[in-house]
Amino acid sequence: MKKSRLFQRNHILFLFTLPIVIMYCVFFIVPLLMGMKNSFTDWSGTSPEYDFIGIQNYIDIFQDERFRNALIFNFKYTILLTVGTVVISLIIALILNQKLKGRTFLRSIYFLPAILSLVTVGLIWNELFYRVTPMIGEATGLKIFESSWLGDPKLAMYAILIVNLWQGCATPIVLLIAGLQSVPQDLYEAAQIDGANAWDRFKSITVPYLIPVLNIVIVTSVKAGLTTFDYIKAMTDGGPMQATESVGILIYNHAMQEGKFGYSVAESMILFVIIALVSVLTMRMTNNKKVGD
Amino acid sequence: MVRVKSVLFKSMAYFIAIAGALVILLPFYITLITAFKTPEESAQNFFAFPKSLYLDNFKEVFAKAGYLKYFMNSVIVTVCSLILIYILVTMISYAIARSMKRHVYYKIIFGMIVLGMFVPFQVIMVPLVQFMGGLGLSNKFGLILLHVTYASMQAVFLLVNYIQNVPQDLEEAAYIDGCTTVQAYVKVVVPLLKPMTSTVLVLNALWIWNDFQMPLMILNKLPDTWTLPLFQYNFKSQYSFDYNMAFASYLIAMIPVLIAYITAQKHIVEGLTAGAVKS
Repeated sequence: MKKSRLFQRNHILFLFTLPIVIMYCVFFIVPLLMGMKNSFTDWSGTSPEYDFIGIQNYIDIFQDERFRNALIFNFKYTILLTVGTVVISLIIALILNQKLKGRTFLRSIYFLPAILSLVTVGLIWNELFYRVTPMIGEATGLKIFESSWLGDPKLAMYAILIVNLWQGCATPIVLLIAGLQSVPQDLYEAAQIDGANAWDRFKSITVPYLIPVLNIVIVTSVKAGLTTFDYIKAMTDGGPMQATESVGILIYNHAMQEGKFGYSVAESMILFVIIALVSVLTMRMTNNKKVGD
Repeated sequence: MVRVKSVLFKSMAYFIAIAGALVILLPFYITLITAFKTPEESAQNFFAFPKSLYLDNFKEVFAKAGYLKYFMNSVIVTVCSLILIYILVTMISYAIARSMKRHVYYKIIFGMIVLGMFVPFQVIMVPLVQFMGGLGLSNKFGLILLHVTYASMQAVFLLVNYIQNVPQDLEEAAYIDGCTTVQAYVKVVVPLLKPMTSTVLVLNALWIWNDFQMPLMILNKLPDTWTLPLFQYNFKSQYSFDYNMAFASYLIAMIPVLIAYITAQKHIVEGLTAGAVKS
């Protein structure tokens, strides 16, 4: 009796897993494999016929200046985004961890951007840049504020970066505050008795405790930077003059608008490898710091 | 001396905290006031508070743009996805958490699903468009299935870790009382998981409601099925001359999430920290 019951339980647990396992295979594994196959073809995305061309797409991509420019854009953007996110969120988290009046309220405000859609945020800031930058220009007389940064090939990236930081720091701030609260307070007191100054205490007590959280913040910012899509789509759509064409936007344009389906899949495979490598590298780097301390 | 220093430090902290908060609030303020202004009023002074409560922008958005339809699309997609996530993801997480040590199958599917978290969406997006089109699933139903699949990666990870820490005594007691596996699961296990399932649901509600890339890939050709973010994106190109109306539409899209945030703030923040700080 007992044995058959256990047998039945194991069957039911197996059935419990099936819906998600099937969906996962159909909507994730199969498209992934199909994509890998298509990256070796010259398929346009609409024509019924296509040929296998081996690794020709990959060879072409490495000689494609547009892809190289997109990649350079992504790397610049990712470095600035990651450094900006870490510095700003750390400063705000340290401040909001002090005993300030109304800090619960301030914390709620700082998290607000995270609940909005990236597109909505991009569109609102779009308008702000168009209306407000010339106003600042008129008031200060500085040439850099003459017109919206989004129309200037040199400045458009920084405009997008500002918007990304405005929204992208919200979650790291919450995480870092939680991390700061996990530091035992008596460590600070002991260090103070030993005569350590504020910077020493920050460096040797706070930072080591924050490493796991910082690790997550850095890895997610890096991934967000390398795959950036929504803000650019909403604000510049890659322009002006392809100055803000990230790899994500380039893949979309090639696949959906320029009839280079096979080629765009090959690009996304390269992006995947880059992201995997960079993620492993960043994790290694941040983990090593922990051991060093 | 130390006192002066600490007072100075405190006022600096207040200054930065409040200045930052103002930067955060500025776009919200602009959205709010612009939505209630006429284009002429906005042209006169972009930052000023509206002189009267001008509601025509909202009327226009609802009437001309058929806003309600897109709003309902977003509601349908979000609610259906959440129901499926609630039922299916909890089931598989329970099975994995209780059987991982017993059979290698559960270990393998757990590893596979969690690995999916690291694959960026762009890698899959192009083949996915082709694939969904081929299956005839370039519609709301297809979008719901995709949301459930992609939500399952992080959700399974969070729930399995949680269930492993829930003691099995209560389930066993239910078996002795004559419950079947399914009965014990529904009556005993599911209620015990409420803290983590609500966290998972809140996080996914925000994500699905705001998602832009997936609807853009799957639904862009069928205007009747657009969700709110997709509508707003296309609205920008159609009505770019009347940005007061556009801001009214942003405001209406924000209100449900703002209400959700105010009522469920604790769950949202807990969910984020549970997913990150403890792992």
